[in-house]
Amino acid sequence: MFELICNVLLWAGLLYAYFFNVLEAPIPDRTARNPYTLKPDIWPKAIIILLLVCIAINIVNIIRKNRGNTDFTFASMFDMRIRRWLGIALVVAASFVLEPLGYMATCFLVLFLYGLLLGQTHVIRLFVFAVLVTLLLYVVFSVLLSVNLPRGTIPELRNFSLYVEGVVSSVKSAIGM
Amino acid sequence: MSTWELFTSGFSVLMDPYTFLMVIFAIVVGTIFGALPGVSATMAVALGLPFTYSMAPVPAIVFLVAVYCSSITGGSITAILFKIPGVPSSAPTTFDGYPMAQRGEAGKALGIALGASAIGGLVSALAMLTLSPQLTQAALSFSPSDIFAVTFMGLSILTCLDSKNVLRTLISGLLGLLLACVGQDPMYAVQRLTFGSGELIAGLEMIPVLIGIFAVTEVLKQTTATKKLSADEGNASVNTKMPSFREWWGIKWVLARCSVIGTIIGILPGAGATIASFLCYSTETKLSKHPEKFGTGIIDGIAASETANNAATGGAMVPLLSLGIPGGNAAAVMMSALVLKGVQLGPLLLVNQPQYLSATFASMVVTNILMVFVAIGIAKIFAQILAVPYSYLGPIIIMLAIIGSYATNMSIADVKIMAIAGVLGLVISACHFNSAALILGLVLGVICEGNFSRAYTISRANLVAMFARPVAGTLMAVSVVLLLWPIVSPLFRKKKD
Repeated sequence: MFELICNVLLWAGLLYAYFFNVLEAPIPDRTARNPYTLKPDIWPKAIIILLLVCIAINIVNIIRKNRGNTDFTFASMFDMRIRRWLGIALVVAASFVLEPLGYMATCFLVLFLYGLLLGQTHVIRLFVFAVLVTLLLYVVFSVLLSVNLPRGTIPELRNFSLYVEGVVSSVKSAIGM
Repeated sequence: MSTWELFTSGFSVLMDPYTFLMVIFAIVVGTIFGALPGVSATMAVALGLPFTYSMAPVPAIVFLVAVYCSSITGGSITAILFKIPGVPSSAPTTFDGYPMAQRGEAGKALGIALGASAIGGLVSALAMLTLSPQLTQAALSFSPSDIFAVTFMGLSILTCLDSKNVLRTLISGLLGLLLACVGQDPMYAVQRLTFGSGELIAGLEMIPVLIGIFAVTEVLKQTTATKKLSADEGNASVNTKMPSFREWWGIKWVLARCSVIGTIIGILPGAGATIASFLCYSTETKLSKHPEKFGTGIIDGIAASETANNAATGGAMVPLLSLGIPGGNAAAVMMSALVLKGVQLGPLLLVNQPQYLSATFASMVVTNILMVFVAIGIAKIFAQILAVPYSYLGPIIIMLAIIGSYATNMSIADVKIMAIAGVLGLVISACHFNSAALILGLVLGVICEGNFSRAYTISRANLVAMFARPVAGTLMAVSVVLLLWPIVSPLFRKKKD
């Protein structure tokens, strides 16, 4: 059922995109008048048409295949285990909180919470692991590879990131890097 | 200067202990950079630039070439062990490398990847030294319609990737092609399919999508089945054993074909290692006697992808040195460094400064040989991570995915794209779509559309004239047959029955 719903939603979404979102700005006049140019909407529209046809056939195939299948119900759609839903929520949330919380807090929270989600029961060990890996990844990417990891927009967390950066730069200057 | 003189003078440069040590250092740095997700070959070369500021021009080019070649190879380590392609060109390596690692054959997969990389790199280095002017001329005579036909041939694999699910594989490939349309159109920069989001105007960045679909999806799948992954059965460390001579002999034509195709694709401006590895993987799927085994963990798939992406590195150096035209982004970074050093890239290089061509060749040869041993050592270190319980390893992969996506452009939007791609990967898996086909469409989509548009305009909207050229016409005819055969052949069989 999940497959059918996804296919139907995809089909509807593509139909909507075909009519309303292929082009988000007008085609320049000169391009529109030139008969020898491929208009910017032709290629994506051709792909969408092919997709609409293929997905429609796929939907018919799914319905045919599951005719008489007693497990083919809406309830079966929610079979996915709660842990996987939480995993998805955590990954998506991490991508959104990276900017306000910054690298340090996000990394620590992801390592700690995802570790718990994956069944780690030694909370103190997990806590120490999260702190150490956060620092290790920071050293590898920020110090060695000069990747400017986000500091965060929340003042307290930003100040903490700046404090860690200060400590790292004083260590760097002490060892002559 | 004769070819032999170029050959010997190149190796005499590397006899200098300082230069030789710099090559080894570059291989270590390049392999580690390549293995880290989000650090592309271009970024690795850019990060290696500061080391060259104090060097003389010849050691500088030797160093940068070594970083470039080894970073492409390094990408295969994490692709095989963790399903995280370290560089985009290693993405097809995950299709067969990761299943092999899961079966406890990580050692053999790494052995094939490193050996094939070395062979691809050596063949392209030889081609660069001996056929540079001819290859450049041949590549420059490729018109947009020819390049479109080459990429279309790569797309014709779609119906072959999963013979039991042709329709779903086709849908996945078309979705990839549609995703490649997001952002500005390649000819007139008109915004398309951005749904009003400013963050999508530049299009979808390849690395976050690859990391999301491959690495994050895998961790999300494992969330419900907590387990300890082991690289080799009963052994936490990877025994990087080279495959037997028989196995190497079995893939000799794969290595030969992919070395040639990879070198040619590397020469084409705008193509590069990623396109080369996908095209060779698709070509080998078509030509294989057992195409249904591709994607299940066979050495042919790894050899195709890794030979091609390393062969493309030598290919990219050909137009850079002989014409001053960089074949890809990494070559462009190298070009800027060489120009700063006073190197006159172009047709006169061979006349006025032949030492640079010979040094590049020697560096590529030595790098591709030494890289195998250095990469084995680094792979063993990376493989230790596999012994870590998954409750620790899973979160580390998620964080590497986040940082890797962010580091590409220092953009939070890329992290969001990675997360969405991760969820999309789960949906694709649940709907029995094919993520490899989607990535193939995404990788080839941009170059396919751009060249089709250019060819359409050049031929004054005449489709017949577009494919009247011998290369384009032949390739298109072959592609159409390859594309339709898996769909049409069952109908013939039914009639026969």
